[in-house]
Amino acid sequence: MMMNGKMSPDEKKSLLGQFLDAQLAPGRPRIWRNAFLALLAAIAVLGIAVPNHHPHFGYDAYHFFWPAFGLGAGLVLIFVVKKIIQPIIKKPEDHYGDL
Amino acid sequence: MATSDFYHPSLAFLMMAAVLPFLPGNRRWKWLLLLPPLAAIYGAFGNAPGDHLTISWLGQTLRLGHVDALSQVFAQVFAVMSLAGLIFSLHVNDKAQHMAALLYVTGGFGCLLAGDYLTLFVFWELMSIGSAFLVMLNRTRESVLAAFRYFLYHVAGGLLLLAGLLLRYRLTGSFEFGPIDPAAATYADYLILAGFCVNAAVVPLHAWLPDAYPRGTVTGSVFMCAYTTKTAVYVLARAFPGWDVLAVAGTVMAVYGVVYASMENNARRILSYHIVSQVGYMVAGIGVGTYMTLNGASAHAYAHILYKGLLFMATGAVLYSAGTQKLDELGGLAGRLPWVMVCYMVAALSISGMPLFNGFVSKTMTIAGAAEAHRTLVALGLELAAVGTFISVGLKLPYFAFWGGKPPDRARELRPIPANMYVGMALLSILCLAQGLYPEMLYRFLPFQEAVGHFVPWTAWNVLQALMLLGFSGLAFYLMRKVIAPHKALNLDFDWFYRLVGRAVIFLVSRPLAAIDGVWTLVWDKVGVRTLRGLGLLSSWFDRAAIDGVVDGSAKGVKGLGSLAALLQNGRLQHYLGLMVVLGLLVFAFFWYGL
Repeated sequence: MMMNGKMSPDEKKSLLGQFLDAQLAPGRPRIWRNAFLALLAAIAVLGIAVPNHHPHFGYDAYHFFWPAFGLGAGLVLIFVVKKIIQPIIKKPEDHYGDL
Repeated sequence: MATSDFYHPSLAFLMMAAVLPFLPGNRRWKWLLLLPPLAAIYGAFGNAPGDHLTISWLGQTLRLGHVDALSQVFAQVFAVMSLAGLIFSLHVNDKAQHMAALLYVTGGFGCLLAGDYLTLFVFWELMSIGSAFLVMLNRTRESVLAAFRYFLYHVAGGLLLLAGLLLRYRLTGSFEFGPIDPAAATYADYLILAGFCVNAAVVPLHAWLPDAYPRGTVTGSVFMCAYTTKTAVYVLARAFPGWDVLAVAGTVMAVYGVVYASMENNARRILSYHIVSQVGYMVAGIGVGTYMTLNGASAHAYAHILYKGLLFMATGAVLYSAGTQKLDELGGLAGRLPWVMVCYMVAALSISGMPLFNGFVSKTMTIAGAAEAHRTLVALGLELAAVGTFISVGLKLPYFAFWGGKPPDRARELRPIPANMYVGMALLSILCLAQGLYPEMLYRFLPFQEAVGHFVPWTAWNVLQALMLLGFSGLAFYLMRKVIAPHKALNLDFDWFYRLVGRAVIFLVSRPLAAIDGVWTLVWDKVGVRTLRGLGLLSSWFDRAAIDGVVDGSAKGVKGLGSLAALLQNGRLQHYLGLMVVLGLLVFAFFWYGL
């Protein structure tokens, strides 16, 4: 619905929009999370089945190298960035007086 | 500019920029904006290799149309991107914004086809001017200040390049623009390298980018994210392949960019830091310098221009519609802007190197090339950056803007997004997917065809490796989603040092130099002005009595000219820049068409 060129909060949504909105309903995010975890398990199992013929770094010949690298690097990166680096360099948004 | 087997892609952009102010105001002129990109696509795909346009000027031979496999692959993606970018901008009525974009793209193509450093320098500077306007024309105080900083910084970078190319000319007697042997490099080559590194946003010279790009116009930043840094990647690939320092610098860039992107709150600044990171892959590939990594750098530049343009389009569309680009103010927009979200995700998965999308066939080539060249730390650094890329662009940004990261912001009024913006986004989405599914579309244009067969992206292991890396970094995000939640903040970066230098210069000018100037003015006022006044009275009498008597009205004419010159000196940077472009173009038009 248009009001003065703006969409009102109860605007008419496309089918895709309705579907996406429905995924935010209570209970739905949990289904998506479970599907994601199941997919990860499947990928990890497949990692055992498919051999890496050309390991580049030595350790990547092991089956769980890449899952461990992805998880470990992700956890360390987020922790170091948000808990160590940002508290040191964080300033108010208008620190330079540009805004 | 155009012969039977050559068309310079800059030509129509330059002509359109020149005639645009004079076209009638019924807005039908907008459709003409699509002609230069179409002509550029024709030229970029059809030009035969060789030197096509040489001009003798001041005893030098300027080579404006140097076409080879390397320049061609960049010219092709520049042309495609210019079409998508101008379609995305078609709703904009402000002719000044279109002119700035057209001149900027003119400069980009000019750099790609430059066969000598003088030609390169002229187009290099044209890009700086065009892009400064794309930031300034956002017309907020914040943007004008950012544009001023951006321009000052790029002038400094341009001066490094100019000093380097002139000193190089003294040493070698040539302005030829070609590969430089790192073993025989001189200080002049390092100056040129430094000038290129400013535009490539090599850390620590990078801070202009996340300062300016988030403050550009919605459509202007779409152009800027594609051309400046990738032109720099191209010139680095042409002049500095195999320079080891670039392999290290590129890896540092790749990791540095994701670190800053992971803490940012501003959507377009997150993407800006990811330009630094992604250009790092290309710079590292150039530094390693094997055929495979140079191919990887070119392929990644191609893919990057498409998906990064799409990312800036989608976040620009959110900014256009919702009026903000800050993640802490957005939330749950997926249902309200579903197609923007879909296009954004195509680009986000592309930049992350997810199978099916074009980043998967370009990024992996550079990493595999680095690993095969036994640059283990470079390859591992790039893999680490891939984890951070997926976490910040593939998950954090959409989680907090589109999905359930925060309660949906249903009260925010959304401005309808024009159809042309969707068309621009759809075009790039299709290309990102097509290149991922059919890598041959991209690989057949790579500069070193003999090395293309050494890398096959679509193998079971490569797909699985990407899924394992990205899937489990997704798990890390899920576990840490509350830690990574964005908040309003400014994160200090190297621009702190740039501003320090700026403040030091202002202090120098406003205190010691101003004091010296004050004393000098006093002395001048007491002694010089009185003397001059006396001389002036004398010459005025002579002028009236003698000169105007001989040449009727010359004094009046000179006075009029003086008043006009005074009008032009109004102290406004944008007027000076505009005048500079016009005069520069007039000089070049004279030589291009006159000789």
